[in-house]
Amino acid sequence: MSAAPNRRPFDAGRAAYLALNALLLAFLLLPIAIVLVFALNPTPYISFPPVGVSLRWFEKFFGSAEFMNALWLSLWVASVVLVLSIVIGAACALALARGNLPGRAVMTAFFMSPLMVPAILTGLALFQAYLLSGIGRPVWGLIAAHTLVAVPYVIRTTLAVLHNFDRRIEEAAAVLGASPTRVFFEVTLPLIRPGVFAGGVFAFIVSFDQFPVSLFLVVPKGETLPVVLFNYMKFDLDGAIAAASMVSILLALSVVLVLERLIGLKAYVKL
Amino acid sequence: MTSAAIKLDQVTKTFDGRVMAVDAVTLDIAAGEFFSLLGPSGCGKTTSLRMIAGFEHPDSGRVHVGGKDITDLPVHRRDMGMVFQSYALFPHRTVAENVAFGLRMREVPRPEIERRVAAALAQVALTGFESRKPGQLSGGQQQRVALARALVVEPPVLLCDEPLGALDRKLRQQMQFELKELQKRLGVTLVFVTHDQEEALAMSDRIAVMNGGKVEQVGTPTEIYERPRTRFVADFIGEINILEGGGPLRALRPEKIRLVAPDGARLAGTVETANYLGGSTLLRVQPTTGPSMLVRETHAGERASRTPGDAVGLTWNDSDAVALES
Repeated sequence: MSAAPNRRPFDAGRAAYLALNALLLAFLLLPIAIVLVFALNPTPYISFPPVGVSLRWFEKFFGSAEFMNALWLSLWVASVVLVLSIVIGAACALALARGNLPGRAVMTAFFMSPLMVPAILTGLALFQAYLLSGIGRPVWGLIAAHTLVAVPYVIRTTLAVLHNFDRRIEEAAAVLGASPTRVFFEVTLPLIRPGVFAGGVFAFIVSFDQFPVSLFLVVPKGETLPVVLFNYMKFDLDGAIAAASMVSILLALSVVLVLERLIGLKAYVKL
Repeated sequence: MTSAAIKLDQVTKTFDGRVMAVDAVTLDIAAGEFFSLLGPSGCGKTTSLRMIAGFEHPDSGRVHVGGKDITDLPVHRRDMGMVFQSYALFPHRTVAENVAFGLRMREVPRPEIERRVAAALAQVALTGFESRKPGQLSGGQQQRVALARALVVEPPVLLCDEPLGALDRKLRQQMQFELKELQKRLGVTLVFVTHDQEEALAMSDRIAVMNGGKVEQVGTPTEIYERPRTRFVADFIGEINILEGGGPLRALRPEKIRLVAPDGARLAGTVETANYLGGSTLLRVQPTTGPSMLVRETHAGERASRTPGDAVGLTWNDSDAVALES
């Protein structure tokens, strides 16, 4: 005869934990759901409940040369920013973690400072600096500005990986006959790559979504998508904005998914 | 497999210009020898090993391997094998890729790499694990991969930095046997760093006991255990009684003491504690005068067991009380 199974006692802490999680998830996802409803709703104003399903706002978005030019510019800028910031950010993080540099804490704080300064100030400062030095507002200036605010994300995620890095693994490779260069490419780089690319995802999104910095640095007819959307919203508030938002969200999501597929961001969580 | 002799000649290493990690250490390790560096943490054993490997450059003194001065040779050109306590496997590579790494660095042709990797994995009983990642292996299996990875390049010297420290007791003992047998079969010179005196005694041909950056004594396990030269060595290895009074201090192992009747014994006293250890019992005996003594009573054959409170007499041979250098 076996004893009746014990009923698990009610755990108030666990219930509260689950409830909090559900609440946070709703807080994060509800706005997206509302935007989706708005984007698919045929009326040119926000109405609830929705009166039907239509793709007219997506048609308007994709049919507008202004939106399309802005979308391509944003994608192009964000892609270049992604590449630049992972190269610069990874190099910075390696130097900070490994370089035995004097004043390392101060330098880390300095490289992280774009995260601390409000982006609108960064944009204004760069705008003035560009004007005063006669650079003007070329696209590469915009890319440089985005890279400046994106690099700290890569530094942060790469430093996190380097912090947990067992240097004996590199030593093992060296004993086995790998020169310092080969150690870097065979061991160091593959092991920090998930951190670097995780930062790269942030960099892409920071650039693609960038509004305050871009606001100062774009020229008419050369505006990025967030600036175009802002200008559009000043006069029209219809479903095209919601459709554009949905496209942005899906693009950002696909960047994350593609990188996950290619290099496995999951490894970053495990490290 | 070829093996090489190692010679440390007056090697000194300081850290931050102040802390003396290794202080004028001279060691002669014979080719094919299983040589242990034994001591508490901070005694300089790991730093000594890392200077042989080339991770640390000595402030002064020279390191010779196989008759050649390698003091200024970079790590990757020293042609050694090394096993780390944390195993240090490449987590992003499979078992086979881990083992193949050293061969790949040596630009060994691919068919030969495959053949030698298979042979190395067979040697450590890991055939069939080729495509696993290190994260999918147990600690003991990871240790074996690390061993195969180090040995597949047939290094004349194998360096081991507390390689069994992360394993549980049972597995550690098994690996001790395996590692020793493998070393004898391959004939490789093995330098083994450990803080575990039992492990050093069990495995080594010779042991260097280190303390405070200096070598206290070099000798075979029997010499180190039976004839400790200094109080530190006597204390660090196993249990010991230090006898004072008249001349130098003397060290007496607990198992050298015989329990006899109190009358006419060298010392008479009372059993305070009796720790049953399975194969033996370790007794703490408080003599009528002087400090308490440790006595090991082995349980071979019939003996009357002692319990706390029993009156006992202690006796031993003079030759078993080893005079220590002061």
